[in-house]
Amino acid sequence: MTTLPEQSWRTLTWDQGKENAEHVRFRIDTGIPVYFCDPPSPWQRPTSENANGLLRSRARRRLAERWSPRHFGDSLRSTGPPGSGRARSRNASRQTARREPSFRLPGRSQQCQLPREHTRRIGCSTVSESVITVSELTRRFGTKTALASVSLSASRGAVYGLVGENGAGKTTLIKHILGLLRAQSGSVRVFGLDPVADPVGVLSRIGYLSEEHDLPGWMRVDELMRYSRAFYPAWDDSYAGELRQAFALDASATIGNLSRGQKARVGLLIALAYRPELLVLDEPSTGLDPVVRRDILDAIIRTIADEGRTVLFSSHLLDEVERVADHVTMISHGRIVLSAPLAAIRESHRVGDLVPSLDEIFVAHAAMSAASPPNA
Amino acid sequence: MRSSAAAIGWEFRQRHRWGLVALAGYLLVLAAIKLVVVERGLPIPINLDTPWRFALVVVVPLGATFMYLLALFSFGFSSDLAARQSIYPARMFTVPVTSAALAGWPMLYGAAAMAILWAATRLFALWPSGVAIPVVWPALLAAVLLAWTQALTWMPYGLPGLRVLVAVLWLCTVDTIVLLALHFKAREPVMLAILAPQVPLAYLAARFAVARARRGDVPDWRGLFVRLGQLADPGRRRKRFDSPAQAQAWFEWRRHGRSLPALVGILLPFELALLFAAGDAPVLVFVILLGALLTPPLMAVFAAATVRKANPGGTDGYGVTPFMATRPLTSAALIAAKLKVAFWSTLAAWLLVLVAIPVALVLTATGPMVIDRARRVIEAVGTPRAVVFALLASSALLSSTWKQLVQSLYVGLSGRDWAVKASVFLGLSFLAVIAPLALWISEHGAVLAVLWDASPWILAVLAGLKLSAAAWVAARLHDARLLSDRTLVVGAACWLVVVLALRGLLVWLVDTPYIPSYLLLLVAILATPLARVSAAPLALAWNRHR
Repeated sequence: MTTLPEQSWRTLTWDQGKENAEHVRFRIDTGIPVYFCDPPSPWQRPTSENANGLLRSRARRRLAERWSPRHFGDSLRSTGPPGSGRARSRNASRQTARREPSFRLPGRSQQCQLPREHTRRIGCSTVSESVITVSELTRRFGTKTALASVSLSASRGAVYGLVGENGAGKTTLIKHILGLLRAQSGSVRVFGLDPVADPVGVLSRIGYLSEEHDLPGWMRVDELMRYSRAFYPAWDDSYAGELRQAFALDASATIGNLSRGQKARVGLLIALAYRPELLVLDEPSTGLDPVVRRDILDAIIRTIADEGRTVLFSSHLLDEVERVADHVTMISHGRIVLSAPLAAIRESHRVGDLVPSLDEIFVAHAAMSAASPPNA
Repeated sequence: MRSSAAAIGWEFRQRHRWGLVALAGYLLVLAAIKLVVVERGLPIPINLDTPWRFALVVVVPLGATFMYLLALFSFGFSSDLAARQSIYPARMFTVPVTSAALAGWPMLYGAAAMAILWAATRLFALWPSGVAIPVVWPALLAAVLLAWTQALTWMPYGLPGLRVLVAVLWLCTVDTIVLLALHFKAREPVMLAILAPQVPLAYLAARFAVARARRGDVPDWRGLFVRLGQLADPGRRRKRFDSPAQAQAWFEWRRHGRSLPALVGILLPFELALLFAAGDAPVLVFVILLGALLTPPLMAVFAAATVRKANPGGTDGYGVTPFMATRPLTSAALIAAKLKVAFWSTLAAWLLVLVAIPVALVLTATGPMVIDRARRVIEAVGTPRAVVFALLASSALLSSTWKQLVQSLYVGLSGRDWAVKASVFLGLSFLAVIAPLALWISEHGAVLAVLWDASPWILAVLAGLKLSAAAWVAARLHDARLLSDRTLVVGAACWLVVVLALRGLLVWLVDTPYIPSYLLLLVAILATPLARVSAAPLALAWNRHR
């Protein structure tokens, strides 16, 4: 494990009294915020002189240079009316203020040592453990490196969006979390357990929607519900019924005869009906129509997070990620190139009043990563 | 590749290149034996003058090869035969060629392969002396059977499993016509006249099937049975599963459990109908009854192909699906459900046999003769021995049926295509080699004597290998925490009890000083399943957590 030296970081502190100090650490070379610790407070509104001081610092200047308009052409947004980048940033900031995830993150293949204090407040309860902890995970398929020293940590009550281009390693990472792939090097812990060694302990607490929608085509919807409920003691029949009605699914329909979108709805129903502690959605929007995607899926994800459970979802649709995620992890060529709270990403990439969209940030990071892929 | 024909041909060749290379190698070996041994007037190592010897040496390998080509050219290796949808690969429906080409080229390649197979067999196989070997019609028969198989398996059906029923019935009908023609000593032109018109008919049927499947025209008649079920029991409500294991067993039963009883149920009426023709010939009656009793274990070999499939969706991959891999059950529990359902499946198949045989004996009036023979056996060996022998034989048939269903789980569930293909290759090679070898041994008394003297050592080595493999598997199961210590110990103890009980029965039954009791212990060790069945959870875990 490599630790970046202390001089590689700058810390931004919002002084709200000793008990409520917040810190965002920026990597000087990239300007990417990689760590902050809570407690829940409007961190996006710095009140101390430190923030202004930091903005004038060398790191901030380099950041401004790196994210200059030549990277984004004319598409950079400035402060503007509702719907603009600035307004969306505010919305996202409000969400983050409500649910700030604690996390740790390596830069590229490097690992930063972070303190263990991941304590955060969810409603009236305090939760301290990490739901997912991935450390220095490397996976190769033949000569291709699918994941290169990936480290990631996810805490309760937050929505984690996993974005990346095709073949970036999103599904490979998810499969490791589910225990479908064994870590070749590094480690994966879910709820503190090894998902390969203890599949029952882990999988009984996870709801999973596969990208492939590989539900048994010979079953009817009600048969699948009856079959699935046997595995999960917390299965909620009334909730399952509500979901079935919300998704407009016929109980007697054979799954093989359903459309791709309907299969996605069935998969989502099965993943949600036992209120799992961790919901893993691999490209959940694939096949879903916009109504279900925007109105139902988003609402479900937010509700789950509000209940103190965790959602990890991968998506190509960055607007969807912007809508619901508290925290975004970008993967490119098997490396995590950016992982931070959404609002922090926006803030760190802002140049003056210009706030790039997640699309633009993603494209720029992917381009940087492509210049030095791990297989090169 | 400049044409669709070349592309389709390339796919067959590329996907099955190792099997085709092995087949070519087998034919080359046959050719070498024929050219080196027979053409030079050297003595033929195996006497083929009796029909069963000829059947073992020529017909069995030829039949296995024919079945392989049948599955290859009808896309049967990567499909779900029981599904309602066509087994023609759906990915090819979007290729910009006509349905006629999609149906025609695989048929043409298949017919050519069958013709080559027959030509090579005719030229290179060791035929008994004095047999007039037909020239063309066997090749045409093989091509016709393949063409009908293609047409009938590519057709979409309204009910699951109907494909198998229709295909078996129709192919049996074609076979019966040919057998009748042979019975009346039809000459080659007559055989050609019977068979040749079927090729274009099968082609038209295949073209229709592909066109229908291509436009997604799959009839659905299941609603009829659902309505019938509702009429029969309108107040029926499905009970909840008491445990995940029960739910998984239900899943496995719905997926694979009915295959074996269905196959046995389809074949039994045809087999037992032969009792009408057997009349008062006791030998023929007992051969037919033996065939009926061997039907479940033989059909279990075919049913096992679906039971061991890690990816029951019928896709090309061998890996376990994410849906199944993410069931919150241990790999051992998933295997336990398969083993349990295989047992139910075995019981259901044998129930059919046990009901069908007495009914057939009564209907054909052969019952008194069978009872009379059984009484004579009881008088000759004594009632207790006869009862034990009957129990032992029925247990052996029952357990061998179950064993056939589950013993290859460890190969299919490993999810590695090389393991699956290697096992198929080894199985076919074994079939091709074992029969001539057994015949050769039986004809050489000295070799037989040596083997008999060495049999304790051979059995001891085999038992040692089996126990070593089992110990390795147990250690791996323990290390991977797939089974608890208690389960491992209880499993080993149960296995030991079965082995000792079997050995005790054999010692009591085979009361002769010529066979030492330790030899019977070795036989009991080899007969009781252990290593391969134990390896199944290991294979599934290997597949599930790659």
